[in-house]
Amino acid sequence: MNEFLNLFILFITDAWFAWIPAVGFAMVFNVPRKMLIFCAAGGALTHSFRFLLLHFGIPIEWATFIASANMGFLGLYWSRKHLIPRPVFTVASVIPMIPGSYAFTAMIGLVEINTSGYSLELMQIVMENGLRTLFILTALSFGLAIPSILIYRGRPIV
Amino acid sequence: MSLSKEQQTELTRVAVFAGQILHQHGAESRLIEQTTQRIGLALGADNVELSISPDAIVITSLVNGHCVTTTRRCHDRGINMQMVCDVQRICVMVEKQLLDAKEVKKRLQRLKPFKHNRWLVVLMIGFSCASFSHFFGGDRAAYWVTFVAASLAMILRQELAHRQHNPFVNFAAAAFVATIITSVGVIFEAGENPQIAMAASVLLLVPGFPLINAVSDMLKGHINMGIARWVFSTLLAISVSIGIVAAMTLIGVSGWTN
Repeated sequence: MNEFLNLFILFITDAWFAWIPAVGFAMVFNVPRKMLIFCAAGGALTHSFRFLLLHFGIPIEWATFIASANMGFLGLYWSRKHLIPRPVFTVASVIPMIPGSYAFTAMIGLVEINTSGYSLELMQIVMENGLRTLFILTALSFGLAIPSILIYRGRPIV
Repeated sequence: MSLSKEQQTELTRVAVFAGQILHQHGAESRLIEQTTQRIGLALGADNVELSISPDAIVITSLVNGHCVTTTRRCHDRGINMQMVCDVQRICVMVEKQLLDAKEVKKRLQRLKPFKHNRWLVVLMIGFSCASFSHFFGGDRAAYWVTFVAASLAMILRQELAHRQHNPFVNFAAAAFVATIITSVGVIFEAGENPQIAMAASVLLLVPGFPLINAVSDMLKGHINMGIARWVFSTLLAISVSIGIVAAMTLIGVSGWTN
């Protein structure tokens, strides 16, 4: 019971810290003011859901894929309800899951291989972070596209 | 319903204008294609074909066996979802036959990009990057160092974007400033693990939207658009990392690859 409570508190904290970046980046993308609340809800839900999946030992790529596929279906529902294109909600909501730190580490590794010469450790950093970025990002976009790939197949959603 | 030559030309112009707005404000290729075609068909064309390339769109409308083709250059005007929403709304209204070509044109020309209050955006981005520092396991000191660094970097980014500087220069400069500030935090040993602030404070410069658009474009068959967006965002990430490395070399702190 105590363990469950701890997990629940972590889950809520995760959701709380995830809505902030979702709304922040939605504002950079100039999402209309009325829709920001949906981005906040989507961001909090997806990131905390992924947190739960990671907690139960699912690899990060698959966890990201499942969480973003959920967001894709949620976005589908909202977009049909409000007659607004799906990327308006979905992209801002998955922004907290973007592997930005891995991407920059890989790039910085490349720059350092250039300045300080080739070494196995640097190359390992570049490859591991680069591949992780690639796979997480593909899982993310693929998950978001699931509704239009599997259900709509080329027909317009709104 | 038979359209005259002038009407067909006008219809093509209206449709391509809608496509151009979507392209300039960062919509994905499938959305550009569908919306343009739907507006063209709803205004009475028999068929509308378009070809999207990273900096231009070409559209051909077919009415009674006559073709009209036109090309528009699309300069990037920054991601703006409000414009995409408005064009989509106009598209739905045209399909319900609530607007004619003249009215659509007037409405499209009236659209103005909506921008959130810039200081509010700075505040929210500061807190966003601070939240990322929490996700990386940072303590309170790292939280506030990240907040300050990310906010100042965002102010710089907005200023440079406002003066129409090259995005690569802009992102490198913003990463440089953010890393300088967080490096000072590392030197004065703010908190348990000040390196976390270095990683979190540059996350406002991740080109997330182009990356997601790139993959979903490629998934949906617009390979060339996807590759263009992918290369663009990779170049942005490289210029960010050059800004970070420059700042780390200048201050003499290392925080990333060790």
